[in-house]
Amino acid sequence: MRWRKAFAATAATLVVAGSLAACGDAGNDKEGRDVKAKSDCDGKFEDGSRMAELADAGKINVGVKYDQPGLGFKGATDDVPSGFDIEIAKLLVADLCIDPADTSKVNWEETISDNREPFLESGKVDIVLASYSITEDRQKVVGQAGPYMVTGQQVLVKADSDITGIDDLKGKEVCSVTGSTSLENVKAKGAKGVGADSYSECAEKVLDGTYRAMSTDGTILAGLAAQNEGQLKVVGDQFSEENIGVGFSKDRPEMCEWIDGVLSKSFEDGSWADAFELTLGPSGVDTPEPPTLQPCK
Amino acid sequence: MTVTDDVPVDNTARRSGDPLVELVDVQKWYGGLHVLQDINLTVGRGEVVVVIGPSGSGKSTLCRTINRLEPIDSGQILVDGAALPQEGKALARHRADVGMVFQSFNLFAHKTILENVTLGPIKVRKQSKAQAEDRARDLLDRVGVAHQADKYPAQLSGGQQQRVAIARALAMEPKVMLFDEPTSALDPEMIKEVLDVMVDLAERGMTMIVVTHEMGFARTAANRVVFMADGRILETADPHTFFTNPQSDRAKDFLGKILKH
Amino acid sequence: MLDNLDELFKGFGYTLFLFLVSAVASLVLGTVLVAMRVGPIGVLRAVGAIYVSVVRNTPLVLIFIFFHFAAPILGINFRWVQVHVGGFDFTSAFATAFVALSLYTACFVCEALRSGVNAVPMGQAEAARAIGLPFGGVMTQVVLPQAVRASVPPLASALIAMLKNTSVAGVFFLAEALATMRGLTNDYSSERIGIFACFAVGYILLVEIVSMISLGFERRWRIA
Repeated sequence: MRWRKAFAATAATLVVAGSLAACGDAGNDKEGRDVKAKSDCDGKFEDGSRMAELADAGKINVGVKYDQPGLGFKGATDDVPSGFDIEIAKLLVADLCIDPADTSKVNWEETISDNREPFLESGKVDIVLASYSITEDRQKVVGQAGPYMVTGQQVLVKADSDITGIDDLKGKEVCSVTGSTSLENVKAKGAKGVGADSYSECAEKVLDGTYRAMSTDGTILAGLAAQNEGQLKVVGDQFSEENIGVGFSKDRPEMCEWIDGVLSKSFEDGSWADAFELTLGPSGVDTPEPPTLQPCK
Repeated sequence: MTVTDDVPVDNTARRSGDPLVELVDVQKWYGGLHVLQDINLTVGRGEVVVVIGPSGSGKSTLCRTINRLEPIDSGQILVDGAALPQEGKALARHRADVGMVFQSFNLFAHKTILENVTLGPIKVRKQSKAQAEDRARDLLDRVGVAHQADKYPAQLSGGQQQRVAIARALAMEPKVMLFDEPTSALDPEMIKEVLDVMVDLAERGMTMIVVTHEMGFARTAANRVVFMADGRILETADPHTFFTNPQSDRAKDFLGKILKH
Repeated sequence: MLDNLDELFKGFGYTLFLFLVSAVASLVLGTVLVAMRVGPIGVLRAVGAIYVSVVRNTPLVLIFIFFHFAAPILGINFRWVQVHVGGFDFTSAFATAFVALSLYTACFVCEALRSGVNAVPMGQAEAARAIGLPFGGVMTQVVLPQAVRASVPPLASALIAMLKNTSVAGVFFLAEALATMRGLTNDYSSERIGIFACFAVGYILLVEIVSMISLGFERRWRIA
């Protein structure tokens, strides 16, 4: 019996390779919002701008995450990924008069933390919406517009744990994803950062008692807590602030104003709030006020 | 310690009736090939038996069954009255009492000459290192390679290596020595130095079973010659009788071929 | 990059520690396995052969996954490992990586040694048996010492592969060199090339040291 469970665990880990699909109802496998492509692109963008080029070509490559439920997640059988990042990306794609639901026109390319900048620099993707924190160092090599979301890092522990926040974890091992800003923040707070390949692996290790806590954006933690209802809980105040933005090529600075324009419109017309409600609402996160956009450089 | 080709050593005097090695109805197959058939042979204490025969006759196999480097399919082999044990510690103890010299010397390539000779005494006989080395140097001196003690086997000539191999076997103070074509891999000028050592050994009363093509050695040092062909012992006789008046056609044919040259 | 040299050294520190302890363990286990595989006992021969074919044919990542995510369900875990030495934490992640790497690499050590055993002429073992050494003595005194000499190049290859395989631990909770590199490239995206270069040089240096040691052994044993 135990062997069967172990075998199942191994098999599941393999099959979904770091995704949360194995954990059952991920709360984000609903259809996304149906966003219609605009049809006003003739003359809307300045000639020679990247937007005009993309609208003319009718095709776009969008870099997103596949492994973060609620933000950017793609199950093995899904055509189009789902999550808040994806919903925002759809608004941008639609504004270029491209149908977001048509996978022959929109290529949802998986980007991981390691390859977002290289993909933008090489032109493999045109825009990145992959829980991509805006940082000064990144802006040296790529363009970043937004933010379209502000998140803060919290701590996820076992439901019966008496840990109340990151300050209780000084000198203790805390799990996060290798190469992520979250991991650096954990270390900065005096905990010993332990890097996994995905947040679901961290959750697994918190559940089996190897690590007392994991930490990353509160939204992600809320998703994980919802999937393991009654076993895990999010604790403590946010101890970092991440501005999640849209990445684009530094060679095409004109994209910044355009992105900010589409974002502001979504803040105003309620589509931003709808997207948030649909994707992150089920994890128990209240829809906040839209963030303030940073000026383009 | 010289071999005088035509004057046989008279060993008959020290041959006792006491059997040391006995092979009774020994049979061995390699798959469908019956390589040892109805082998019955008794070697007395102090006796020197030379086994000759054409290649493929089973004489090397016979030699190797006596310390069970080749297992047999049926029959019995007794050494000093005790049956040959199966695999394991008992067999290892048995092998320690049976010295063996191989055609290709088989000195331990990674050990010095001295270490080659002391390995068995130290590890098997549990002698102290000093004791084993004293004895090893005596033996190396006796076979004429004392000054090579600290070299590695590859640095010695074939004849020297084979003499070391004899010293290695003697260091175990065996009851009987098996020689499996000890000179066949040697250049002609080195054969004599090895045969000299073997003759000396025979004169000192060592029980020896020697598979060889050296008819000179058979004539001078052997008490008995065993002639084998096709896995069978066809003739057993004293050397003089065998070489002057072989009985079987196969032996006549064999001697005709090798003595012509 | 220069500001983060301490992180680089710490990352390679874990890599080096993990390599050293796993190398020792896999050499020991590999030697036991080869003794089983060439030994006279049929059951042990079969066990050795099955172990090698099962573990060698399994991807290393799968072995890591097994020990991290399946073994705990069976009650096998390394949470009890809590060794802290001078800023280095040898805990569950390190212990698991050590076990996975050692069990995996032992197969390659075994096969490298077996190729060496096969290179030792039959007559060596026969001569050793003929002077009355039991199987253990034949192996330890005569066959293995010569097999090891003949196996130095393939053994070095197995250990070099293992040195690089330590990077697999970097995606399983251990902040060794690769994980450290990924942290740094994320924080300093603009210096990516330099960071890659530094870590590549680190690995090259470590592998070069292993190669030199192996070459040293080859030279020393050439005479014999």
